[in-house]
Amino acid sequence: MKLFWELTKRSFKRQLTYRAATLAGLLTNFFFGIIRAGILIALYGTRQDVAGLSLPDAITYAALTQAVIAYLSFFNWTLIMDTIYTGDISSDLLKPMNYFRFWLSQDLGRAIVNLFLRGVIVMVGYAFIFDLTFPNSGWQWLALGISVILSWVLNFSWRFLINLSAFWTPNAQGITRFFFIGMWFFSGFLTPLRYFPNWVVRVSNLTPFPSMINTVAEIYLNVLQGPELVQAVLVQLGWAIAIILAGQLVLRAGVRRLVILGG
Amino acid sequence: MQYRASFFMELLGTALITLLEYASLALIFFRFEDLKGWSLGEIAFIYGLAEISFGFMDLFFSGFDPGNFGLRVRKGEFDQLLLRPLNIPLQILGSAFVLRRLGKIVVGVFIFSFALRQTNLVWTTAKILYLPLVVLGQVCFFGGLFIIGATITFWTVESIEVVNIFTYGGNYMMSYPMHIYQNWLRRFFTYLIPVAFLNYYPALYYLDKPDPFNLPTFAPFLSPVAGVSVFLAALAFWQFGIKYYQSTGT
Repeated sequence: MKLFWELTKRSFKRQLTYRAATLAGLLTNFFFGIIRAGILIALYGTRQDVAGLSLPDAITYAALTQAVIAYLSFFNWTLIMDTIYTGDISSDLLKPMNYFRFWLSQDLGRAIVNLFLRGVIVMVGYAFIFDLTFPNSGWQWLALGISVILSWVLNFSWRFLINLSAFWTPNAQGITRFFFIGMWFFSGFLTPLRYFPNWVVRVSNLTPFPSMINTVAEIYLNVLQGPELVQAVLVQLGWAIAIILAGQLVLRAGVRRLVILGG
Repeated sequence: MQYRASFFMELLGTALITLLEYASLALIFFRFEDLKGWSLGEIAFIYGLAEISFGFMDLFFSGFDPGNFGLRVRKGEFDQLLLRPLNIPLQILGSAFVLRRLGKIVVGVFIFSFALRQTNLVWTTAKILYLPLVVLGQVCFFGGLFIIGATITFWTVESIEVVNIFTYGGNYMMSYPMHIYQNWLRRFFTYLIPVAFLNYYPALYYLDKPDPFNLPTFAPFLSPVAGVSVFLAALAFWQFGIKYYQSTGT
């Protein structure tokens, strides 16, 4: 466990040094968020409530999607894939540490920096410009905290899993892109899932993606409360466990293949 | 073209994300019905046009994409181009022809044709003849922004992501009617950066909509003027930048 936190600490410090990139990312998040808010304000017009969301709810939702992009590495992440192609993975596998935890610890450092420098700053910045919604009780904040952590665990496990496709194909970049595109749509990143017709919501709920963004956002907006909230968090947890296990199985199969090829 | 599987996957991926982004807008229209007086079909007109233009621009100008270009400057590959007795911008134009962007163009055409079916657009000879010029204006505008972004990397070496706000952000913004945005934002992207003239004003002319801001009646016809001016200014900035270019030495 000491090794785990040491790796986290180093990745945390490394991430802190990308100051220019953080600033550029923040400006981009703000700009796209403001455009999105503009579209939402126009869509709402005089409507008070659409699918259970008020205008401040909708704008808060848009801000949240921008706030979690960097925290979840939501646009692209190919680090493991790259080590499979370069062969660096063979030395990583020899390290005296579980391979999944080796990457989990490093991603944690990266995620913590981005949660605060990109996520919290975006939310605070938006609060200056727009009328936003906030969690309405201590319990809601607590649930939000748990849900935010679970969304990262789940999302990381997912990125871990799809990167392993590089064991089998030279086109892993193209394949993971499809998975990312599916994730953008079904997670509620492009639009709150509530706005969609019911059949789209039902299809989304068959995937782990709503647990990455939509659930977190609905807890933040107090849309999910009480038993519904508990259930949503348990679904997040269930998906996280399932994807972690899938990742372990696929990794084992992949490593076997790596040995056959002779690394 | 040797990596066929990878090529088709990228082509399909580009088409899919363009389509899903539009679908997520179309699907919520069941609930919202209109966007400040504009129907989904009318939005599809500007949305499709913006996708087509940006797709064509990316097809030709990828070599100038500040991300890629910055990498070449850093690696010293740009120095090779300087040594060849050929026009340098032309060499860069020829260096990357990203065929996978066709995916964006095809979906853009699909969205645009949806618009034509949904709106009662009355075609005239003038409207037909002007359409390619609108696309040209947008291609020149975003191509110019790519060149400006590439030129800045002469000094910074690192690619500067802030340029993305104007390129990808500008494209995103003009996929929606300009009158929905806050006044300061709209004014900035009308008078300082002429985004409004590239897509919104031509659309008012095609869809026979009144101009809510009462600009002169020639405003819809400024698209090629605005695009070509930005493009020429970008080339001038490029010439200026190249005079001061110092290799990284790698």
